[in-house]
Amino acid sequence: MSRNNIVIGIAGSGGDGIITAGELLVKAASSDGLFVFMLKSYGPQIRGGESSIKLRMSELPITSQGDKLDVLVVLNWKDFLRFKSELLLEDDVVIVSDSDDKFPEEDIPIDKNKMKKWYKIPIAEIAKESSGTKQSKNIVMLGIVSELFNLPKEALKRSIKKKFSKKGQKVVDSNIIALNAGQDHVKNSLTKIDPLEFEYKEHEPRLVMEGNEAIAYGAIYAGLDFFAGYPITPSSEIMQWIGRFLPKYGGTIMQMEDELASINAIIGASFVGKKSMTATSGPGISLMNEGIGLASMTELPVVIVNVQRGGPSTGLPTKTEQADLMQAIWGSHGDSPRVVIAPVDVEDCFDSTVLAFYIAEKYQMPVILLSDGFIGHRKESINPAHLKDKKYGFKKINSRKTPTKEELKDYKRFKITKDGISPISYPGIEGGEHQTAGIEHDEYGYPSSDVDVHKKMTIKRYAKYKAIKKEFSFERFYGPDDAEIGVMAWGSTKGAVKEAVKKANEKGIKVQAIIPQIIYPFLMKPFKKFLENKKKVIIVEMSYSGQFTRYLRGFINFRKYGVTTFPYLITGGAPFTVEEILNKITEVTEEK
Amino acid sequence: MKKYTVKDYKSKTKPIWCPGCGNYGILNAIYRALEQLQIPTHKIGIISGIGCAGRLPGYMGTYGFNGLHGRVLPVATGAKMANLDNTIIAVGGDGDGYSIGAGHIGHAARKNIDITYIVSDNGIYGLTKGQASPTTPLGIPTKTTYYGNLGATFNPIRTLIAYKASFVARIFSADIKHSTDIIAKAITHRGFSFVEVLSPCVTFRGKDQYDYFREKSFYIPESYDPSNEVNAFDYANDEDVFELGIIYKKSRPTYDEALEEVRIKAKKDGVPSKLGLLNNFEV
Repeated sequence: MSRNNIVIGIAGSGGDGIITAGELLVKAASSDGLFVFMLKSYGPQIRGGESSIKLRMSELPITSQGDKLDVLVVLNWKDFLRFKSELLLEDDVVIVSDSDDKFPEEDIPIDKNKMKKWYKIPIAEIAKESSGTKQSKNIVMLGIVSELFNLPKEALKRSIKKKFSKKGQKVVDSNIIALNAGQDHVKNSLTKIDPLEFEYKEHEPRLVMEGNEAIAYGAIYAGLDFFAGYPITPSSEIMQWIGRFLPKYGGTIMQMEDELASINAIIGASFVGKKSMTATSGPGISLMNEGIGLASMTELPVVIVNVQRGGPSTGLPTKTEQADLMQAIWGSHGDSPRVVIAPVDVEDCFDSTVLAFYIAEKYQMPVILLSDGFIGHRKESINPAHLKDKKYGFKKINSRKTPTKEELKDYKRFKITKDGISPISYPGIEGGEHQTAGIEHDEYGYPSSDVDVHKKMTIKRYAKYKAIKKEFSFERFYGPDDAEIGVMAWGSTKGAVKEAVKKANEKGIKVQAIIPQIIYPFLMKPFKKFLENKKKVIIVEMSYSGQFTRYLRGFINFRKYGVTTFPYLITGGAPFTVEEILNKITEVTEEK
Repeated sequence: MKKYTVKDYKSKTKPIWCPGCGNYGILNAIYRALEQLQIPTHKIGIISGIGCAGRLPGYMGTYGFNGLHGRVLPVATGAKMANLDNTIIAVGGDGDGYSIGAGHIGHAARKNIDITYIVSDNGIYGLTKGQASPTTPLGIPTKTTYYGNLGATFNPIRTLIAYKASFVARIFSADIKHSTDIIAKAITHRGFSFVEVLSPCVTFRGKDQYDYFREKSFYIPESYDPSNEVNAFDYANDEDVFELGIIYKKSRPTYDEALEEVRIKAKKDGVPSKLGLLNNFEV
């Protein structure tokens, strides 16, 4: 059975090199021009513990990580058990496991009938014999699966050479020996009992990126000058990447003592006219909320990235959720306008970051980029041409509007205008001296506790929303307009939703999905258009409390459109599968 | 070249501090120090948090920033590090700096951020009308310590030397001439300069706070060597008196200098075009 789309899961203990193996496979597939998705999952332990990857490669475009595994590779069954809900198996799954692992077979919770296609191979032993160390069992394993299922073999060799070349020829050689040993074992000592065969033609090489890297790259592309942050999982890669590359362009990066310092430092940098950003996760945002209010009040452009993780408090730091939506929209104190944007996949992490800087600088307000651990840590192959040929209509207006000579004669930093945007001066500009204050102030910036001033200035700050709503109308629609079944979702759930909608339509269920990019302010227009023909709408989100559902209900009178809503809320830290959403679509369609 | 006078450094707003407040002296000393140094008004950022002293930027004809309670140093750090052309002065009170914002002092000091931090220390929360602060003397009653203040009094000088601040000084707001001189030296110092000000709160600590500071303070003799850390700690450890002048001063690399070296290092293996950064994602 040859196919051009395969989902592979690998599980083992933390020291088994599972993630390295997965990364090598992603690079190999990507270098042969395949579409690849890889999710990493691991426990909170720093060393040891358990780790797994789920990898999907396909010759044709894919938008999700795939649901069930066609191939399961287990180096350690005990560790696999911790992922049994994240690594679901196809009925005809093929299993490859290390026969050295003495875990009792009766304790493996997999249907014994399915075990017919189970290769028990002494992986560690082959590693020891060929390369002299059991440590290379992850590479032997790659040799085995690449030979068994015809995964990119030559490309794997190239990836291994590239990855280990820094460590010297010896290391490269011993890893190549390990790879060959795995492949030879399959050729010489194994009878293939399964029909699974991956088949593809080579295409132009693609890039491999994680969402966090795409955000970091997008920020530098957008002209980031100043970054201040504090490490937190799952966002730290953003700061690490920026720390490596921003200094090349003369920018400034600072690790601060906490998130309070981070948000205030970027506000300080923005005050002196620089494009500034910080990145954190939910708990960090909680600490930054007061600062977000300050940025809103002082009308200073800042970009704040929240790579959401699971649960409140420490919660599930290495897993994902979409439960910071309300915090992003309503967090902080007082009426404090900000814009909330949600990227939907790795490439969109780049686009959304550029957009976040554009909106922040133009509208002089905080912009929150609401990503999550799912796309933040997901490796995805990307067509390099897409990133090179970006045509942003707003490229030119990428810096804040400074006052003219005429305006400086009687300079009002917070001048009331129709679109709420006032010319902004900063230290270095002669004649633009003023006080920027968190205390309510008049148009000149002078403190005032006059109720009329507060009223006028609040309205001024909110006037920006009107202009933003006018400027942006972009939403993602998938499926036919005349569908009566609708799906509303946001952020990283897009991948599974898009694929489920496509499958449903292929099956003859007419369904359309809408996924906004700008979450707040709420852009009613595209939703209005979307709702025209709908009778039933499923609202899909990784939030047990239904934050997106409540948010939508706050703006949309579904009854007016004759629409019944079906919230589909999950928690648990694992992203939606296509099947889950497809089942929900079927269920809702059939409901009378 | 334009000649700047005290008038240029003043804003149109008149201070609303209580008559006799120590902050008037600090404000005047800042005006004079800036006049002495002839720093253009548009190249100065005065940053503050919340408290009576936090109002100070509003009285300046320079750029000013009045932010959140306790966060003056992070804002000042960002403002300085993002554009080194500007002179950044952070001001605040003892509540803002030593209580809610205490977590930031050590880091601005150890990083040796090239800013000046002036703390108007009156040992009380004035703006919120008379609650205890970390420098309120032990045992005295305040609005929140009805039966007397508990807990040892915070020693800012000793703490700042321990935090490796490269310039640590104390002034008394009533002596504007001396204060002007020390503030000018603090601004000129390359690195993190800390100036603790004995600044009476006549409203909540009483008029005799002036007499108390006068009685307990003395000027550091000219023969004193501020680069000697042991001597500096000796001064700082004596909590019975307030020595006025530069207590500790030692030159060491600033954060911006260190960061410039990082930039040079980063540029060594090439500066790609921004699109060229995509090569890092090639497989």
